[in-house]
Amino acid sequence: MPAAPAREPLQPSPGSGASPQALPWLELSQVTVPGRGRPRLDRVSLAIGPGERVALLGPSGAGKSSLLAVANGLLRPASGSLRWLGAPPARSGWARRRQQARIGTLWQDLRLIEELSVQQNLNSARLAAWGWPRALLNLLWPLDTAANREALAQVDLGAELLSQPVSALSGGQRQRVAIARLLRQDPELLLADEPLASLDPRLAAELLQLLLNQVSPRRALLLSLHRPDLLAGFDRAIGLRQGQVLFDQPASSIGPADLEALYDGEQLDSRP
Amino acid sequence: MGSVRPAVMGAKLRRAWAGRRRTGGRGPSPDRTGRSLIWPTGIAAPLAMLAPALVVIPVLGLLPGLVHGGGFDLLAAFIQAAFTPSLDPLVLGSALKGLGTTVGVALLGWAASGLLGLALALASSRQVWESCCGQVWPANLLRRLLALPRSIHELLWGLLLLQVVGLQPAVAIAAIAIPYAALVARVLGDQIDALPSGSLAALRCSGVAAPQALLTALGPPLLSGLLSYGGYRLECALRSATLLGVFGLGGLGTELKLCLQSLQFHELWTGLWLLLAVMLLLETGLGGLRRRWLMPRRLDLGGASSGEPGLAPRTAQAPGLGIALAQSAPAGAGLGSSNLSGGNLSVSNRLRPEPRVSGPCSAESSPGARGLGLGLGLSLGLGGPKHSLGRRGREMVLALVVLAPLLVWLAQAMGVQPVALLHWQPLPNLSAASWASVLSLPWARLVGTTLLLTLVAAALAVGLAPLLLLVIAPWPGARPLLQLAWALARLWPPPLSALLLLLLLKPGLVTAALALGFHNLGVLGRLLLEASDDSPAPAELALKGAGVGPRLALLYGRFSGLARSYLAYGAYRADVILRESVVVGLVGAAGLGTQLLESLSSFAWDQLLALLVVYALLTLVGEDLSDRARRRLLGPA
Repeated sequence: MPAAPAREPLQPSPGSGASPQALPWLELSQVTVPGRGRPRLDRVSLAIGPGERVALLGPSGAGKSSLLAVANGLLRPASGSLRWLGAPPARSGWARRRQQARIGTLWQDLRLIEELSVQQNLNSARLAAWGWPRALLNLLWPLDTAANREALAQVDLGAELLSQPVSALSGGQRQRVAIARLLRQDPELLLADEPLASLDPRLAAELLQLLLNQVSPRRALLLSLHRPDLLAGFDRAIGLRQGQVLFDQPASSIGPADLEALYDGEQLDSRP
Repeated sequence: MGSVRPAVMGAKLRRAWAGRRRTGGRGPSPDRTGRSLIWPTGIAAPLAMLAPALVVIPVLGLLPGLVHGGGFDLLAAFIQAAFTPSLDPLVLGSALKGLGTTVGVALLGWAASGLLGLALALASSRQVWESCCGQVWPANLLRRLLALPRSIHELLWGLLLLQVVGLQPAVAIAAIAIPYAALVARVLGDQIDALPSGSLAALRCSGVAAPQALLTALGPPLLSGLLSYGGYRLECALRSATLLGVFGLGGLGTELKLCLQSLQFHELWTGLWLLLAVMLLLETGLGGLRRRWLMPRRLDLGGASSGEPGLAPRTAQAPGLGIALAQSAPAGAGLGSSNLSGGNLSVSNRLRPEPRVSGPCSAESSPGARGLGLGLGLSLGLGGPKHSLGRRGREMVLALVVLAPLLVWLAQAMGVQPVALLHWQPLPNLSAASWASVLSLPWARLVGTTLLLTLVAAALAVGLAPLLLLVIAPWPGARPLLQLAWALARLWPPPLSALLLLLLLKPGLVTAALALGFHNLGVLGRLLLEASDDSPAPAELALKGAGVGPRLALLYGRFSGLARSYLAYGAYRADVILRESVVVGLVGAAGLGTQLLESLSSFAWDQLLALLVVYALLTLVGEDLSDRARRRLLGPA
């Protein structure tokens, strides 16, 4: 499985272990999450700066999902520290939620709210900022139509979908709506948990490009990936094995030997 | 932090599921479009759950006019007494004796209804008749006949039997057994008919005789649902036995009512706390058994919160994973069957297939059922304990061996003589002249008041349960308090709440509705609490991860998926409330219930008969409406 040639990174790649020059958007140091038997994350340290596109590689059970859950605040590490956009997670619930509102996650199962319309789903990305009156009004009335239309346009979907229930969409449309919802959230840190798994190759490539395009000088992307053949377009790749960081280096420098060490005999999920 | 684990663990299962669905064609399909967004009511799913709570506004508006002075001191004394129940050995002894009678009545009534119900279920199952005789009309006929005993509340059965055969222990037991048996028969009959008939047909084709084939093909898949539902009926029987006591049929209920009427609040609380302990013990024990024997939950909304919210409720061919609503099963419960050995079954409120299409329908539904059963089996394999094959069966046999002599001993100790039920006292003759008094009753007002009472009580119960859950969402520590409140509401018989409310309020519809609503709030609140105690809904987690507060995350992320099944259950509850409205008749001005109790105590048999017929008709219509509402909420478009 040869790694595809990497494109030019947006900014100097930090390289293995080194922290980026700018304030890192996400910083984990010595993070450990206990699990049954062995820790799910074992003293993991990494830093991701604004504008970076980082792929997270590793076999099943390596701890990719746990790492992302720590990164978006759903999982609190047993030890080690976490910093979002330069600050540690706030103690008060409210302040912490303000921090989390700046982190957007694209879930593998998308986690759209099936019972609601596309518009209501897109608006649900704004709930952290909205109070109860707007949150209730959103369930009764189409709100922020212009902004939602724009978000849909960015993912090549037409505004006619706004009134559709999410459950009526096709698989590809759902993926795009989920990304449009992220755009509505407008996060600085974008996390994606194996968004390409169970997608056909064409759809996977399109979706990946869409996600990579969202990265801007003020927005970083951390995406866990099942397929090393899709590394093109990433600045950096982090290899996770048994809860530990095996490598953290520019994506262009990942070679077959790195992947062999990472997967160590496991069947690579590399559908053509 | 452990909370994220199920979501992480379930990812693979969801992936497989999502892949399967995708291959099945995921494009915009007509059966999925129109229904998810716009509800029959025109509002979005999560709000539809809260909308019934709006009834609080007019009720609060009416309350100031209903309050009468002087009752607050009594109420304060009542609340204070909760913390200082009487521990006098005499009081304790009498309460324990009453509790023993109540528990005995409940157990015996439950056992009788179970046996009778099982027999009637077999006799009213179309599959059984078709398999044995090739005819289904006897099943349909019996089903229609069973509607009548079901439509009359156990209290009415109790009071009628009391008039006919006099006060004796068997009366309360029969009062519970008759309507319960009819209910069990319908639920089980529906379950049997909803099972995929493929395995039965295969056995019959290979020359197996009908009884053996039925037992082999339908027995195992039915067992889990049967036991789970049986456990739920036992909880109901305990509540009913207490209620019957309030109306003088003996046991703890009678003690409680006497204490309340003589304002002996400390003694009252002694009995109440004992009853609460027994009820919680029973619920915990049954919950433990349910988990040990891998039986379905009563309102398992897992399907709605497992990454594909609301999928299962929407597809009629998808029993099993969606909502296990054994409790709502009078609408017709289906069993999702699993091909895995020892696989769990989930009683879903899949709607009863229409009689004439049962053949093709079940053939069509079986792949879906199998798929979902597989999904459920997988999820059990991942998360559930290893189930040793055969252990469950041995334990069940052991339970039966213990239970049977216990029941016989109980019946003897209580002096139950079923034969005495056959010695009827002479009934008065009904002459044509007396029908004039029947016609003179204000029928329109009676029926109207009963319906209004039902609607207000149902709206209070259905709307307040999610509202209160939202209110306490940010404080996990408040959940046990809410749990306790719901337990008290469930065990506290509505007529006693009504009497208690009379200390503060004038008699009337609102008072009766508050009493009924409070009791049912306990039932609904608990189910909702249990459903939201399950592993967090993915959408809710996603919202929390994006910084949304706990209340809004609950409203958007979880209530959206729960709304359909919850409201469907609410529709069933409204049907129950209509039937129950007779029990708050004693506060006066509460429609048919009040008139019934008056006619009963004045031996106006002609009125009584007419009222019974009207009541039964009303509950049958209500049941039909509730079924339709549920079908609309849960069935395909």
